[in-house]
Amino acid sequence: MDNLDAARLQMAFTLIFHIVFACIGMVMPFFMVVAHKKWLNTKNPVYLTLTKSWQKGVAIFFVTGAVSGTALSFELGLLWPEFMKHAGPIIGMPFSLEGAAFFVEAIALGFYLYGWKKLPEQFHWFTGVIVGIAGVASGILVVSANGWMNAPSGFDYANGVFTNIDPIKALLNPAWFTQALHMTLAAFTATGFAVAGIHAFQIYKKRQVELHKKAFKIAITFGAVAAILQPISGDLSAKDIAKRQPVKLAAMEAHYHTTKGTPLYIGGIVDNDKQEVTHKIEIPKALSFLAFGDFNAEVKGLNDFPDDVKPKNIAMVHYAFQVMVGLGTLLMVAGILFFISLKKRSWWTHKRYWLFFFLLAPLGFVALEAGWIVTEVGRQPWIIHNVMKTKDAVTPMPGIVYSFYMYLVLYGTLSIAVTWLMIRQIKFLNNSNIH
Amino acid sequence: MLYVVLFFLAFSLLLYVLLAGADFGAGIVELLSSKQNRTVTKKTVYRVIGPVWEANHIWIIIVVVILWVGFPGFYNILVVYLHIPLTLILLGITLRGVAFVFRHYDVYKDKTQVLYDWMFRVSSLLTPIFLGITFSGLISGKLRVTENLETASFYTAYIGSWFNVFSLSIGLFFAGICAFLASILLIGEADKEERKRYVKKARITTITVILLGFMVLSIGYLQEKTFVLNFVKSPYSIVLIVLSALIILPLLRSIKNQSSIKTRTLAGIQVVLILLAAFVSQFPDLIITSDKTLSILDAVATKEVIKVLGIALIIGGTIILPGLFHLLKSFKMIKILE
Repeated sequence: MDNLDAARLQMAFTLIFHIVFACIGMVMPFFMVVAHKKWLNTKNPVYLTLTKSWQKGVAIFFVTGAVSGTALSFELGLLWPEFMKHAGPIIGMPFSLEGAAFFVEAIALGFYLYGWKKLPEQFHWFTGVIVGIAGVASGILVVSANGWMNAPSGFDYANGVFTNIDPIKALLNPAWFTQALHMTLAAFTATGFAVAGIHAFQIYKKRQVELHKKAFKIAITFGAVAAILQPISGDLSAKDIAKRQPVKLAAMEAHYHTTKGTPLYIGGIVDNDKQEVTHKIEIPKALSFLAFGDFNAEVKGLNDFPDDVKPKNIAMVHYAFQVMVGLGTLLMVAGILFFISLKKRSWWTHKRYWLFFFLLAPLGFVALEAGWIVTEVGRQPWIIHNVMKTKDAVTPMPGIVYSFYMYLVLYGTLSIAVTWLMIRQIKFLNNSNIH
Repeated sequence: MLYVVLFFLAFSLLLYVLLAGADFGAGIVELLSSKQNRTVTKKTVYRVIGPVWEANHIWIIIVVVILWVGFPGFYNILVVYLHIPLTLILLGITLRGVAFVFRHYDVYKDKTQVLYDWMFRVSSLLTPIFLGITFSGLISGKLRVTENLETASFYTAYIGSWFNVFSLSIGLFFAGICAFLASILLIGEADKEERKRYVKKARITTITVILLGFMVLSIGYLQEKTFVLNFVKSPYSIVLIVLSALIILPLLRSIKNQSSIKTRTLAGIQVVLILLAAFVSQFPDLIITSDKTLSILDAVATKEVIKVLGIALIIGGTIILPGLFHLLKSFKMIKILE
């Protein structure tokens, strides 16, 4: 494996790992404070037990997110020193604010985890709210830095030199809002459905049903609302990409030829040699409309871009995009079904209802990771869109593949460990006597 | 504004050394406790650093961000040439962090605790050693900063600068400082027999730090390291070191009297003096390569970037510092108001 591939694999792998923990760490505090509020209002001990077990989950996920995030803050430089040398000063703003937000989160979490019976009730609860808000803020700031890689702004560039740097303009780059909105909703969807799914399984198995139903309802409400709002944000993102990164749009849909009134492809198998997509479902003129708001708009095909500015792996971008949209739609439907089930409570007595939500548990995260594959692989060969190539940013140190193996083993083991800890957590909860 | 940024850089680094140092040290103290005392120490360590340890470790992220935003040239040398020890630090930080949380949040306390415990203790010792070693890489005079890396062998480019006796001595010295800070912190957090144990540990670690400090200076002197030669020649460094030597006796006496506030203050001052002494003779030429010195102020970011960074740090600081102070105070790491 050459150094560039190894570095890309390591970056991809560590990000895929970190994103899961970071999302759970930023969204779960909201579930926790809702349960906590209900405990304060109702004094129903079930809510206290739920709050405390979610709090343990938050602590475990937060620390794993925090240490892998610390590693990432170094990895950016360790793997892509040329990138950081030039981009560091430009995108320093979101990163330094992110550092501050993360700090606030850690301080608030310290208060929250250790503040039981030591702090005034309402203040203690409020520190939990700060954990959530600070978490979302740091998520948005990091995504803004990624937005800058897709929509570089706030500098002039000529002959390899960056001048007239304006960090504020770089922070508020054209992509930051659509990306941050899409990612925040995705984090709520993924975490909401994952947590709800785990509790649904416990209800399916008839363990501590009262507690798990309360837990399910809190988690799925967040997930369902986010999933239902997500298509609106997805539409904004698509229009934005069509305008700024047309080659990424062409790759997402695997359109090789420039056409007017372009159809939307659903599914299909990409044949890169023959430059066609077989076995697909075609919706006439839909892509032109979705991307440009005009059924007859022209969508530029991959063939009309020079070879050195388009991603090599078209199939991966296309499949990832299909997975994201397909699963996102499924979760949106599931979200609507949940709200209907609030009116038709008889559904809650069916085992199949709980099995359905259990099966959905991992899908939000699969969609979220697929979305990141679309945006990152779809930006290749650039690390900074139209400014710096990924191959020019990689570290000169050979042998990165060994570092990749190390992270593979380390994070692989950690994933197993965290899963195992969660299973023990739930087992303990199911065996405990709440009243 | 550059000075504001430099101040925050030094301040964050100092707080990282003091707070995260005490935090690493707590694991070292637990490692060095006798078998029958470890369980008690473990409980105390959890009570003392549990609420604050995550916040303590964020200082390193602040340091990294300031470096890459404000001093990209310096940061670039760090991440290219010291890739390997930095990766080992990250490995240590990761294993230590998760072990600490797993051992307290795992609902069943069974045999796996042994694994968590050892992971926590060993990585608490190795991580600060590698932190010291990484720093030493910058000043060992063996760094070969060159445009055409292809001509240098893998060893000279990526290993030689930190893989040597001088670097190891600095690593051990830093781990010693961590253990020293932790034992002094723990004195004020325990009673009776346990308190006496930390008093004893504090004395031993104080002496150890002094000995390790001498070892670093002697090795550096014998190997004619520019860093050490500048250090012993600089009047500022000498004054600072004399000052730090002068407070050793009051410190030892205060440890003996088990006075927690006074001891903590003196220990803090001690570490600040040592760090200042080390940096003052070298600043701003913080990188000493095989053929030249490089200033941290080389390749500093443009004025606008520094201005924005400075403002961001001031705003961040005004939000974070009061919160952090209250956190430390609430959980009694700062005992001023008692």
